[in-house]
Amino acid sequence: MKNLRLKSARAAKDMSQEDLADICGVSRQTISAVEKGDYNPTIKLCIAICKALDKTLDELFWE
Amino acid sequence: MNIFTSAGAAVGLMIGLLICVVLFRFANKDKKIRTEYDERQKMVRARAYMLAFYTVMVFETVMVILGMGGFELPIASYLQHFTGIILGCIVLGVYCIWHDVYWGLNSNRKRYSVIMIFVGILNCIPIIGALKSGTLFMDGKMGMPALNIMVVIMLIIFSLTILIRHFADQAEAGKEE
Repeated sequence: MKNLRLKSARAAKDMSQEDLADICGVSRQTISAVEKGDYNPTIKLCIAICKALDKTLDELFWE
Repeated sequence: MNIFTSAGAAVGLMIGLLICVVLFRFANKDKKIRTEYDERQKMVRARAYMLAFYTVMVFETVMVILGMGGFELPIASYLQHFTGIILGCIVLGVYCIWHDVYWGLNSNRKRYSVIMIFVGILNCIPIIGALKSGTLFMDGKMGMPALNIMVVIMLIIFSLTILIRHFADQAEAGKEE
């Protein structure tokens, strides 16, 4: 399932996938895979993404 | 092959490993020998290593079965094992490239490409030498240059996969953004 909330939060911060990936210490393809729902990130990466986007885990990952 | 040839091959292999260490330090942005991967990349690479392992297992089993029936590849017997190793490397590399995990987080793509071209050229020299001197086949079997041919084929397959994946990735990135 696509994570549209993550994509819109990233767009709201005017960040590219590459920018977010650099902040989180992962590859651009990994961020793309998370947004597309092809990869379930670990809690560690979820927290890194949330911190980078100033969001909570609930806001980005809770259904 | 006598004991001196084996010892020479072992020394050559060690020198090759040392060169690899130097090349990795040069190819990685942070000058570390070890290439860093993120969590998804590590997961995909684990699957790639598993597939490569199965490939080598299947190849070796097939060669043992064929060997029992007297069948041999038209290459020196010691190179048959190298064929399996190269096949495993191809499976590992192609799977990793196709799943976007070939480049590590600290890899410098341009430097890696330069190294690949350099290694390709280095492997072409013995092939050309053997072709010129007519020593590609000895007693109806290919000798050491067969290994260089296999490495060149592997590098061509990697390069083609990287190119295809690069264009697919660019198209995907444009759509995603």
